[in-house]
Amino acid sequence: MANQKNEEPLLIWPKKYNEVPKAVFEMEELWPKELKSIFYGEEWHPIVHRAEIPNPGDYKAAELGEMPIFAVHGEDGVIRVFQNTCTHRGTALVTECAGNKKEFECPYHRWLFSLEGELVGCPNSREFTPDFDKKNFGLHQLRVEGFCGLYWVTMSDKTPPLKEYLGESFYEPLSRILGGDGRLKLIGYQKVMYDCNWKAYCDNDGYHAPLLHKAFALLNWQGGKGFQKVTENGHLAFESEIKVPDQVEALKDASILDFKGTGTSSGSIVLMSFPLTVFSKHMDMLNVRYAFPKGPKGIEVHYAYFTHEDDDEEMVRHRIRQSSNLLGPCGLVSMEDASVFSRIDKGNKTPGNAVFQKGVEDEYKLSFTVKQNDESGNLPRWEHYRKIMGFKRAEQ
Amino acid sequence: MNKISADAIQQIEQLNRDYICALDALDMPAWLACFNKQGQYTFIAEENYRRNFPIAFMLDDCYERLQDRVTQVVDIQSDSTEHYQTRHFTQLTSVTVADDGRYQAEFNYSVYYTRSDTKKTQLLCVGRYIDLIDISNASASYIDRKAVTDTNVLPRYVAYPV
Repeated sequence: MANQKNEEPLLIWPKKYNEVPKAVFEMEELWPKELKSIFYGEEWHPIVHRAEIPNPGDYKAAELGEMPIFAVHGEDGVIRVFQNTCTHRGTALVTECAGNKKEFECPYHRWLFSLEGELVGCPNSREFTPDFDKKNFGLHQLRVEGFCGLYWVTMSDKTPPLKEYLGESFYEPLSRILGGDGRLKLIGYQKVMYDCNWKAYCDNDGYHAPLLHKAFALLNWQGGKGFQKVTENGHLAFESEIKVPDQVEALKDASILDFKGTGTSSGSIVLMSFPLTVFSKHMDMLNVRYAFPKGPKGIEVHYAYFTHEDDDEEMVRHRIRQSSNLLGPCGLVSMEDASVFSRIDKGNKTPGNAVFQKGVEDEYKLSFTVKQNDESGNLPRWEHYRKIMGFKRAEQ
Repeated sequence: MNKISADAIQQIEQLNRDYICALDALDMPAWLACFNKQGQYTFIAEENYRRNFPIAFMLDDCYERLQDRVTQVVDIQSDSTEHYQTRHFTQLTSVTVADDGRYQAEFNYSVYYTRSDTKKTQLLCVGRYIDLIDISNASASYIDRKAVTDTNVLPRYVAYPV
């Protein structure tokens, strides 16, 4: 292996804190380092909510970086996450994106694993190596922590406990997106590929919302008071009131814009945990956007939508109608974001830096004070990324 | 089992042709004209449909929502989305009689799209239409058209109905 100390730096970062090299979205050689330092590093990644696998034997397949994994609801009620590989010769154990099984059997040599990950059967084991012990061949389990029913994984033992990692400014509004108590019901997914680098997908900001989203203006839909909070390790929380006018003349059926609210809700909460997961509660939509980069180019996003267990029939119907028509890859509001992801990818093939302006008071200093519609809230994320990746700033 | 007349099948085929031609011409009023006043349209992933999850990509569950779909395409999203040209290919796979001049029909579909910037053509989605059709006064219209897509992971955002 090459001595990393002698390697040429892949990238020199601009000296100004509000500039990001466009090459960071385009250089394919960054991906192996991002895998090692971010996806397999000291970060937590949300994988599944208990509402997605509510019964023993329910499982959901996912990816962490390039590693296939799956979450399982055990007979003991515990949710575990395993590498999706037989401990014998490495065959993938599950091939469907979700399902229910009594146990996991590898078809190759019929090794059999319990829902809790123990090896419970392996044919002809008397002919195995003398010291073979089934106890040593359980499924490879990842470190898992849950919060309001949402389970996160990390590859590192050094990652701080989840709540400490997220910080109160993030986990408190996250609890409200997750219904306050995590008692959610899954109502379905919208899945899509966006043809941009994963960092472009999660570089959305507070500045664009009233400007890009023509729907906001046409619907006379104005955001009320709000704020952004950022953390040093790159998590971002937006929160704002939503003022939906009584009369929306542009639509024949404005009921999809109703904000019925609940005891735990305010109009709009959007959270982005480092490196790339978005959580949102616009009006009455409860949404987690699991995101899976497909290498340096392309990102697959799974929008998962939920209702709360206490919702009455009318509220469930409302959440379904709102979620299906406003967010996701065809949604009245977020389709415009999708369009920008694609255009950003095209534009970033030019040289130079992307420059952040809105909310930047000092180009040479990182600020954690961010107003509602500033784009400077993304800069601590970029600084966190720069540090993890080991890119030096150009000399001032 | 009720026999299905050749005329009924012809009208079901004609309605489908009107529908896909409207979309390929991006003539949204003509798309709307394929539905009657009870009309509903759903574009939903096969995974959700099979698992009884109600979330759709597009859920127009009343005539007013269908009208708003036209407004969305024509007025709201026109300057922010990148236009693409679609071509719909369909094949009628079953017709059964429901009641009161209603028919259930299924078509397989595949939809290709050509980006206006690169002019490259790719597959957008493949699936089946599950239809409830009214034939009265010598014309057919959709009471319900569900576009159930086998393409559970869409290759891009989808700006127009399928």
